[in-house]
Amino acid sequence: MPPKYHIKTEPVPSRFPAITRSGVIAWDEGCLKCHRCVKKDCVYKVYEKRSLEVREMLDSLDTACKDCFRCVQGCPQRLIQKGLNPQYKALGDSYWTPEIIAALWSQAESGRIPVSGAGYGGPFAGPGFDAMWTDMSEIVRPTRDGIHGREYISTTVDIGRKVMALEFDIAGRITTTVPPLVEIPLPIIFDMLPWSPARRQITLALLEAAQALGTFVVMRQSEMSPDVARYLANVILYIDGDMEDLRGEILKNLLIIEIPDGDHVEEMQKFIKEKNSGTLVFIRMELNPTSAERAVKLTRDGAEVLHLVADEYGLEKGKDPCFIKERMREIHGRLVEEGLRDEVTLIASGGIAMAEHVAKIIICGADALGVDIPLLVAMECRVCRRCKEGIACPVELDSVDPLWGAERIKNMVAAWHSQLLEVLGAMGIREARRLRGEMGRAMFFEDLEKEVFASMGKRV
Amino acid sequence: MDQKKAARVMIFFCQRIDAEQDAHRRLLEKELGSQIKFFPLPCSGRIEPLHLMRALESGADKVYVVTCPEGACCYREGNIRARKRLAYAQRLIEEIGLAKERLELIHVPAGTTTTIDTLARELLAREVFVGPLSVKAQGQERQRRHI
Repeated sequence: MPPKYHIKTEPVPSRFPAITRSGVIAWDEGCLKCHRCVKKDCVYKVYEKRSLEVREMLDSLDTACKDCFRCVQGCPQRLIQKGLNPQYKALGDSYWTPEIIAALWSQAESGRIPVSGAGYGGPFAGPGFDAMWTDMSEIVRPTRDGIHGREYISTTVDIGRKVMALEFDIAGRITTTVPPLVEIPLPIIFDMLPWSPARRQITLALLEAAQALGTFVVMRQSEMSPDVARYLANVILYIDGDMEDLRGEILKNLLIIEIPDGDHVEEMQKFIKEKNSGTLVFIRMELNPTSAERAVKLTRDGAEVLHLVADEYGLEKGKDPCFIKERMREIHGRLVEEGLRDEVTLIASGGIAMAEHVAKIIICGADALGVDIPLLVAMECRVCRRCKEGIACPVELDSVDPLWGAERIKNMVAAWHSQLLEVLGAMGIREARRLRGEMGRAMFFEDLEKEVFASMGKRV
Repeated sequence: MDQKKAARVMIFFCQRIDAEQDAHRRLLEKELGSQIKFFPLPCSGRIEPLHLMRALESGADKVYVVTCPEGACCYREGNIRARKRLAYAQRLIEEIGLAKERLELIHVPAGTTTTIDTLARELLAREVFVGPLSVKAQGQERQRRHI
């Protein structure tokens, strides 16, 4: 049995104070100057350790406060109040909600699973991934100690084309050409960022983290620079320019190359294989209503890995777009029907925002997935998209220290990994590979609604 | 005019005056870059003299505090507190020889709806301007004496 995959984490403090859900609003005027001020009684010493972050004018009061309301209730003159912070509400958008962003920040800082002590107060279903529930019937075993201690749950996945049967000649030698296969210790790769400020430092942070975690970063050909040379073993090169520009030595050192889907996809794959037969070729397909048919055709034609990409909200292209989980289910289902599913690897990207999405998209049929925006959020991005409009980044991501950034990303991925183990453990599954397409172990709100209400004549 | 172009302005404002403040101020931030900086506050009563002093210290030539109309604060007297704190900070900077006009309070008039970018443009277009920050010799002497 291979050694257990473990990501070492340690707290990595933020450079900027986080924007908190609520803030302290305290008047000094009207103070009765009590002998014993409630501010001095703060058990967290919030008032004593108060400081101001000048770049963003953020008060440490808000970040340090633990919402115990002791000071609010104790002040005889009622001079201290806690109010909801409108800046928190303005974070992100309807998909990348403030709660998701704040949870990612906390995971990147601590490397631990975020815990909310007051139970789950939200609705039981919603759009997108929230319309999916996993079967946790094995909740009594293995124990938590088991997941991280005695029990072995593997999150390793194989990326590449698999041969369904080996052929031998009369002398017993294998005649089948076995295509290249890459094993990654967790089913996550780092995808291209949809937007970001100047990339140099950010890219180095991603590469450093990928190297430490044993995974890969998808990088555009146009973004290659001499700095990247020492990370080539962790790069998936996306061809967005002329293939002839690729130098032979780069091709020799790269394990994976990604090409865009299109009319010349077969020629491109052939060209890469001629240069280095050991290189794995990903085909990047933008999801659309015909993706399932296209996936079947490409698999029949010998595709090794299909990288299926939705936008940052998990939606495909076109009018009335379908969410990534629905389209992945369809693609996976079609490949199963055609008897082709085990030959090809599917990687899904776009809209993966939380740890639970990792397990959910795998259940929908992906072998692995690509993460993009959460990597930026781990480095304190506020998903304000100012960089997209050419406005300076409020958290100066363009000048981030790559080593600090890598540690934050590692922490976030470690927290996600722990949560994947929790889900696998609770489902009684010992391998991420076996979670793929396990739709029988999940419930889909849309299906249930149809099942229950369709017969009553309700239009669903 | 050149002085006006180079001046750095910081605007602290109560977020209640413009619900879409984040979207509205982007264009101005893009146009002026580091020349303008916005600091949204949950309530203008959150402002402390320290914020204003630190703003001047970090290179602002002019600092505005924009509050909701008097009597309209959702924390009852936040904007009144802001006015008092700004007056206190003005006294402090006068002591070190700076013009008190470098700190200014703007009350959004009652019954009007304004966006933060429109307001900021109005403030930037004002003719009276204090120019880049430079501490007067007299003030420096006084500071030394105090030490």
